[in-house]
Amino acid sequence: MIEIKNVTKSYNDKKAIDDVSFNVNDGEIFAFIGHNGAGKTTLIKSIVGIHNFEGGDILINGKSIKEEPVECKKQIAFVPDNPELYENMRAIDFINFICDMYEVKKEVREEKIKKYSELFEIENNLNDTINSFSHGMKQKIAIISALAHDPKVLIMDEPFVGLDPKAVHDTKEIMNEMIKEGKIVFFSTHILDVAEKLCSRVAIIKKGRLIKVGAMKEIKGDESLEKVFLELE
Amino acid sequence: MKKYLSLIRACMTDNMSIFKINGKKRSEFSKKILPIVLAFICFFSIWSYANVFMEPLVEVHMEYVLLTLFAFFTCILTLTEGIYKSSSILFNCKDDNMLLSLPISKYLVLFIRILKFYLFEVLYNTLFMLPAMVVYARYIKVGISYWMTSIIALLILPIIPIIVSCIIGGIISLISSYFKKRSFAQTVITMGFLLVVLYGSINLENIIKRIAENAEGINEIITKLYFPIGNYIRLVTNFHFMDLFIFILTNIFVFTISIILFGKVYYKINSLTKNYKRENKNNKYNYKRSNKVIALIKKEFNRFFSSPVFITNAGFGLILFLIGCIGINLKLDSVIEIMAMQGVTITIEEIQNLISIILFGFICFTALMSSITSSMISLEGKTFNILKSLPVKTFEILISKIVTAVVIMIPVLFIGDILIFIKFSFSFLEMVMLIIDSIILPVTAETIGLIVNLKYPKMDAENDTEVVKQSASSMVSVLIGMIMIGITVYGLYKGLETGLESYQLIIYSTISYFIICSILLGYLYKIGVKDFEKISV
Repeated sequence: MIEIKNVTKSYNDKKAIDDVSFNVNDGEIFAFIGHNGAGKTTLIKSIVGIHNFEGGDILINGKSIKEEPVECKKQIAFVPDNPELYENMRAIDFINFICDMYEVKKEVREEKIKKYSELFEIENNLNDTINSFSHGMKQKIAIISALAHDPKVLIMDEPFVGLDPKAVHDTKEIMNEMIKEGKIVFFSTHILDVAEKLCSRVAIIKKGRLIKVGAMKEIKGDESLEKVFLELE
Repeated sequence: MKKYLSLIRACMTDNMSIFKINGKKRSEFSKKILPIVLAFICFFSIWSYANVFMEPLVEVHMEYVLLTLFAFFTCILTLTEGIYKSSSILFNCKDDNMLLSLPISKYLVLFIRILKFYLFEVLYNTLFMLPAMVVYARYIKVGISYWMTSIIALLILPIIPIIVSCIIGGIISLISSYFKKRSFAQTVITMGFLLVVLYGSINLENIIKRIAENAEGINEIITKLYFPIGNYIRLVTNFHFMDLFIFILTNIFVFTISIILFGKVYYKINSLTKNYKRENKNNKYNYKRSNKVIALIKKEFNRFFSSPVFITNAGFGLILFLIGCIGINLKLDSVIEIMAMQGVTITIEEIQNLISIILFGFICFTALMSSITSSMISLEGKTFNILKSLPVKTFEILISKIVTAVVIMIPVLFIGDILIFIKFSFSFLEMVMLIIDSIILPVTAETIGLIVNLKYPKMDAENDTEVVKQSASSMVSVLIGMIMIGITVYGLYKGLETGLESYQLIIYSTISYFIICSILLGYLYKIGVKDFEKISV
């Protein structure tokens, strides 16, 4: 479970996140939506331990990201919005590096890397250096390295940008598989159709403040998520 | 015209902010006081050096040779630095996609990149040249024309070395783009060029050192070798407006023609440098597991060896150390001769008596002037977030960076130690101490570099050169290194004066550096970790 408790984060005295609180339960795909600059990426980076925040706390399965960052991070995999990877590494070396950080056993990483690289049709490119890859291929490497250590919590910032249609479909399938195992998938997106079909719960953020949070059905009622979102503007 | 000015302003704003600090509020100290302090220390050091040079010249009434020499060394510095900086500044830049898609002439893009390079060099050259100009004015009565000519010379003199280094950088990038191991090829070729330039300038220096008796000859050699210096000196000694006009025009003409000619091949080379081939069809992968810190170190090695400018900057000092040690081992007589030409008369017996101090000085100089870690945080750039999201302790990340840098340095220092140990007789205690110094000094230097980089990170650099050569972190680290070398040398000198034996001085120095190193590591553990957390990308 992710518990976000009264989180406040400022940049140069301007509040990017203002007293945001909500929970994400086990076995949930949770969508986090809002327009550009609303504070989505700031909150996501706070959850995964990249950003410090001055107010409130974030608990990952009961552990505080402020107090026990390493223990929290062990349970999380993060896929950023822009796959900034180590360009001069070979893809396999990058994935192995991430696996080493999460202390993944050789047999486990071999099985996971094979599974996901074949799924994303990138199994013949893992010996190439990342600087030769397109944006979409880098995104696939970021996703494979996130999944290779079998995280309890998968956090993704705009995961579908740059992916081809098949990869988008496969990523959605992976998300569904994960929640069947009781894991958490939390992602931000601007593609509201995907959020509507995929997610059980949703949070809408505007100018750093949470304006709606709840079950997808409750939030949108009989309308489309897009319509609800636009009405909140 | 407005469009071009706006473009130049947009391209310059970010890159020229040397003291810009990412993710932190800038203190008044970092914003105003630090650059002034740095500039003052540089100015004062070079001013003192220029005064020492000037004294023998005053005796033979050839004061203008001071300006010739300083202008020449500044140009050599611009050329050597430019050779390895230009590849990174001109080619495969992060703003390629944005700039090349704009409706502007391709020559303008090249012009902007060379202009950025040029402005930095003018800034650095001013730090070296201005003290010499002030010293000259102290000894010779000068008028407004002297200052006008000198200011114009500061702007004009770097032009041709920059153009030449850009062309050499272009050739290096072109050749290395045909190699599979591109970075390695680029580094080797760059090192080759640098050693050739260094060899040439050392030989010239041998001549230059005979200043007092042969000043006119040296002046002639240099002014013929690089004609703008000759023009400048003529203007200083005999000012004519027409000569000044010709001085300016010739250099602008050379610059313009070079941009046009270089522009014709620039885009071809630039596209070749981006052409990363994906031809590896081998799909047998190694899934071997590594310890966290080992994996971090491997990652740091990958980063280090992927950046020619990073390797050259760190490796050049180490190579010179090695060459020095090999020279002492194999050609001691020639080394003594070269030193005599430099005005340092020393016998083999004197070297034997002081060898442990000399070797300690070598190690100290090499370690403190080759700070690798001062760029390691900045070079993470946007990938810094990967590190921050990993389930590892921040101190482990920092230690992995120090270990990487130290592992690069220590083997070279050990080889140098062994070469000197073979040539001269040392007591067992001295050898042990010097071996320990070859570990402690790099650890100290790299810890300082890392602490400084955590204070002054530059996470949004367009290329590696901006971080390795043009960032506040690299400059402050070098400056701290210079100050520490100065204090060490002074301490050793005073120790010898008071009659302490070499081995005693080495023991005291080792203990002092051990204490400094422990304090710095403690600081890194307590404060450095917090600085790391504060950096935001």
